[in-house]
Amino acid sequence: MPLPSFIQPDSMPLREALRGLRFLLRRGGETLADTISVDALPKPASEIASVVMTEVGGIVRSVDTVASSAAKKILGGQENPTAALDDLIHHDAAEAEFAQAIYVALSAVLRRFGTTSFFVSEMSARATFAAWRRETGEADPEQRAAELTLRLLDARVVRGVSVDKAQLAPTGALDGAAVFAVLLWLQSSRSDAENEAALDAAADIALAKADEIARALAARRLDSLAALYRKYVDHV
Amino acid sequence: MSKVRLHQDALPPTNEPLRIAVRRLRWFKAAFLRHAETVSQELGCKLEVDEAKLAGCFMRWLDAIEVQRPADKSQRRAFFEFAAALMMRELTTDMPLKAEGVPVLAQPGSAAAFWPEGYCCTIFCLSVHAAATAQEFHTETTIDPAIDDLRHWWSFRENTMQDARFSAGFLQMLMGSQPNWVMPDVFSAQTKDDRA
Repeated sequence: MPLPSFIQPDSMPLREALRGLRFLLRRGGETLADTISVDALPKPASEIASVVMTEVGGIVRSVDTVASSAAKKILGGQENPTAALDDLIHHDAAEAEFAQAIYVALSAVLRRFGTTSFFVSEMSARATFAAWRRETGEADPEQRAAELTLRLLDARVVRGVSVDKAQLAPTGALDGAAVFAVLLWLQSSRSDAENEAALDAAADIALAKADEIARALAARRLDSLAALYRKYVDHV
Repeated sequence: MSKVRLHQDALPPTNEPLRIAVRRLRWFKAAFLRHAETVSQELGCKLEVDEAKLAGCFMRWLDAIEVQRPADKSQRRAFFEFAAALMMRELTTDMPLKAEGVPVLAQPGSAAAFWPEGYCCTIFCLSVHAAATAQEFHTETTIDPAIDDLRHWWSFRENTMQDARFSAGFLQMLMGSQPNWVMPDVFSAQTKDDRA
């Protein structure tokens, strides 16, 4: 007797919630450590604060680990696609594929940029891509990629970016440069073996052109953004 | 004959023509990192690569060749050589290499011992140029004997420290051309004989 087929539950909201929790705990721990100068307090306040900080640190670390491993289990194996953006559009599960890819790729790029913490919303990426896929016209690939870039940034796919002192680009420009890097990479021609190196190269290009990208984004100039994609897509 | 060896064989494999591959940052970076590793072993000192600086060099180089690329197809071969000189300029403008320690295996009094970073960048530009030229034009690159003369390297280093454009002329000289030393990094300013 054939087994009844069930609709697979959508694991993305749960995954996103776990990542959100992880982000808040990490950020909270950082903020606490940055805010309270235990050494400056007089005794016995400094001793009490020290104990509290150690306890809080322990809680943050254990919940962080649980959230990370739970998120990873739900996440399953996530690999970056080698398909170009234009091909990806025609896949049956394009929205989910894109959202997973952009999560992994944006995280990698933001780390390469020297960010210490950030949150990437896979849910927002999926919804934005679905709307863009429905509504995008017959423009050339770079023009459409430029439109998707603005939509992703409007949807705040990247949130809460914080950087260390050795940041490589102005904080305000990082999310735009990161989204540009990922979409440049998605448009580039690359093999499985070159995937990672291509993403690193796209990130380096975006970082080198962060000011130009920021100007085009601030003015919402789709043509300028498309021109940057056109200029660099063959150099990734 | 010069003892200086080019490292075309150490370049990463690619399915694309080298003239295309070298304009892809991922290949360019892999080629430079591999080359730096090869030269490090040859010299007996680690050459540390700053990847962010290297990416910056590459991006400036791309912009420079786009601006200077001649419309006249008959100048394609000359521009091939010139593109290598522009790469040399960008590498010396913001040197992406730093030698960690003394090049103990380099011959005393050689260019490699004198300036490991400059030597590594020079051999890189020459190696990529030689490999691409062989592929495109089926010709071998001949290196000028000046490469073995330490006085040229003294001059190269001194002048390049003051003005990185000088390095573009130095590389053209090593490739057997007579650069315009006033504007060594301007293709249209080179003599017609050299551009033929």
